Amino acid sequence: MSLEEDRAVQAAKDTVVRETDQGFRVLGSPEKSVTHQHDVDRIEEFDVTNEMIQESGENPEAWLTYGGNYEQHRRTTADVITPDNVADLEVEYMLDVGAGSSMEGTPLIVPGDPPIMYQSNGPNHVKAIDAREGDILWSYTYAVPSDVVLCCDDNNRGVAAYGDKVFMTTLDSGVVALDRYTGEEEWYTSTADHEEGYSATWAPVAFDGMIFTGSAGGEYGVRGFHKALDAETGEELWHTWTSPETEWVGDSINQSCATNWMNATIDVEKRRLYLPIGNPGPDFDGSVRPGPNRNSCGTLALDMDTGERLWAHQEVAHDVWDYDSAAPRILIRDMEIDHRNTTKDVVVSAGKTAWLYTMDADTGELIERSEPGVQQLNMYRMIPHIDEGRRMPFMPGAMGGNDWQPPAYNPETGLAYMKMNNSPQEAWWRFEEYEEGKKYWGGILEDQTEAVPDEYNGKISAIVAINPETGERVWRDWIESEAYIWGGMVTTETGVVFTGTQNGDFIAYDGESGDRLWEYDLGEASIAGSPMSWYDPETEKQYVAIQVGGSGWLRRGAGGRDTRLAVFSLSE
Amino acid sequence: MTTAQITDEAQRQLARTLDVDEVRDGDQLTIERLRDEVERTDDPEFASMGESIRSDLSGKLDAELLETQLEELSRQLERLPEVREQGIPEGETEAEVLYRELAEPGWEIYDHLVDVDFFESLEANLPRFTPEHIEGTAHELIATDELTAELEALGFDEQERIALVMDVTNNNDRLARWVPTKEIPAEVEFGVEHVPPLHQRAAGGTLLWVDALDVHLWQNRVLVTDEILDDGYWDIKALLGGFHLLAQAALDITREEGLTDSQLTAAITAGAAIMIVNQEEICKNMFWITEEMRAPSEAR
Repeated sequence: MSLEEDRAVQAAKDTVVRETDQGFRVLGSPEKSVTHQHDVDRIEEFDVTNEMIQESGENPEAWLTYGGNYEQHRRTTADVITPDNVADLEVEYMLDVGAGSSMEGTPLIVPGDPPIMYQSNGPNHVKAIDAREGDILWSYTYAVPSDVVLCCDDNNRGVAAYGDKVFMTTLDSGVVALDRYTGEEEWYTSTADHEEGYSATWAPVAFDGMIFTGSAGGEYGVRGFHKALDAETGEELWHTWTSPETEWVGDSINQSCATNWMNATIDVEKRRLYLPIGNPGPDFDGSVRPGPNRNSCGTLALDMDTGERLWAHQEVAHDVWDYDSAAPRILIRDMEIDHRNTTKDVVVSAGKTAWLYTMDADTGELIERSEPGVQQLNMYRMIPHIDEGRRMPFMPGAMGGNDWQPPAYNPETGLAYMKMNNSPQEAWWRFEEYEEGKKYWGGILEDQTEAVPDEYNGKISAIVAINPETGERVWRDWIESEAYIWGGMVTTETGVVFTGTQNGDFIAYDGESGDRLWEYDLGEASIAGSPMSWYDPETEKQYVAIQVGGSGWLRRGAGGRDTRLAVFSLSE
Repeated sequence: MTTAQITDEAQRQLARTLDVDEVRDGDQLTIERLRDEVERTDDPEFASMGESIRSDLSGKLDAELLETQLEELSRQLERLPEVREQGIPEGETEAEVLYRELAEPGWEIYDHLVDVDFFESLEANLPRFTPEHIEGTAHELIATDELTAELEALGFDEQERIALVMDVTNNNDRLARWVPTKEIPAEVEFGVEHVPPLHQRAAGGTLLWVDALDVHLWQNRVLVTDEILDDGYWDIKALLGGFHLLAQAALDITREEGLTDSQLTAAITAGAAIMIVNQEEICKNMFWITEEMRAPSEAR
């Protein structure tokens, strides 16, 4: 069956994303959600269990959760591809997913015969794919309400697989559960009112009968939260505001933002969640939210059974540069810390500040703050008020450093890998009215400024390797372009690191040295997706998949849209 | 520890604002010299603002609570050198209470002031920080022996008292941008219900910054230097001094004799101004730790 006959694909294609004064609006979405089935019989019926996901990081045939494992290492134990043979990697197939909107996702692989891929992209479109043949088995498009407003495009970064279902967050701040075998809707739960400015774009995570999901809307004056839902029914199990009232002055808590807009890292042993937390609200006017604005711009640890806050580590107190700390946290167990002569579980955060923070997983104590990944110029200098007539370009700009892009960690090399922007931006603050559901920045952001600090090296982005134990920046590859860099990384047990660039290049690095081992030109469009990898014992091949196409800032200019899922392979 | 830093240019700016004789390089301005040259404000509105605040809050404030907690706040200010000596709170798995104790009496006062709508009254009766209002405040602050003597009793030496006056007089632009919620900037229609009153933001923010130091310094000790702690010492002292000034004004409302209405207005405005300016300073000195400021890594 062709894509033209796929009603869910057509519904996604008919949906238009339009940039307005208030952000992105999704227009032309179907009135009712649409499932279209192709060859669903190919999907083997068995539950995806806790144990399977827990072993996913060590199972070369699986990629069962957004970060590859609950610790979000984004590392595969598939070992066919090595630094020595990666140059032989070939295109297995290019799948046109049909809907050419935001492409920020990471597909999942449920192992089996054939392995089933669950792949999603904007606007809330998900597919089950025979990953061996590249055939679409079912597709689904969620009916996004037309009054949804989004700061940064109609992103969807992936799904969760658990039991007999897959789970996707929806742009109107909800979670929808689909039958994993048929793509039919099982339940939908709204987690907050999208008319207040809430939305949801991340891949949820599942464990022990619970679905964990956060909150977005940090540019719309909402109040951030995290929730656990019952995986079977969608019923809310607990709800925790990210910031307590006692940390904010008076009613400023109501617009405090500090949203949790990328997914939780799960510590199954200690039954904890480690959450990335975004900017305080409004973004640029700190005068209406005095104090450090805890727990914004940092890491928040919660008890996964009750939602109780355990600790928070703040990277930027009283942020006025939109220095979210959005990227998923990496949990490293038993890290040997030589200079302290101790071994600890640590949580690692790659922030917009361009530093990597390594924290004690039990207390949030900072063990090391790394060398900067990119340039820090005029950093932490107060932005001017709009009436001052002063200019103050700052670096990292408001997109970082490391924004949402999920970093990878390779236990074999002991290095974390990340993509950072290196571009000045300007912001001015002003007093601004709050109106429910409307943009609430408290100022203006100049995205592409001509005011450039003297010391700026002119290189817009970099791919960086940092040792989380010592904070040493081990290697860095500057990426020059007209557009920003976006999307995440994957690394292999054999020491290869894959990632895409805004120039349409898909690159394999030697994880130790940073040498480029292989490059593939995927065309003009930027690559905003995050790659993943798996091994198929039937074909005896290792595969690497990446979604091609821009999103957010990268949908414009040099970046642009695409509709392809590129899958590469190498035989044993 | 670092005390208030006063430059020649800052002194000249203070002198210009107060219209006093020229200050030469190396001169040291004193409160006494300023008092000799500065007159009280004769703006009737200044007194009328204080009168309205008194009228709003008459019979609502708990004098005993304010008095007790102000005494406790004074004791906490006396503790500052020993807090600085310890620098970073102890604690195996979390920060023990060190800085939070400094702010504790402040919270007792703050909660009471919120309960009696103290901040709403200030919001209703006081203007934004215009140059005229700031100038009037400075004149009253300097000319009022009770206010400067109160600061002296709290342990602010001559130089520190001058520094606090400068916080008020030398920051017109900074202060003017902390707009009262009732004010409507030219192009913005402002929704007052969503933002706490200006003076509540000044006072609450002060206490939150001091409270946050325990966890901030304990968690980030690998970044913290003696210089950061030394610089922060003055910021904390100034913040708590500003809070004390505001709270003392609240106590004065309960008394039959004390400050004049103009002096009341000045004490409240000066307290808020000092708290606002030093909130911005404590960010820079203690929380926004750049690569240049941080302690060297032990791992590299």
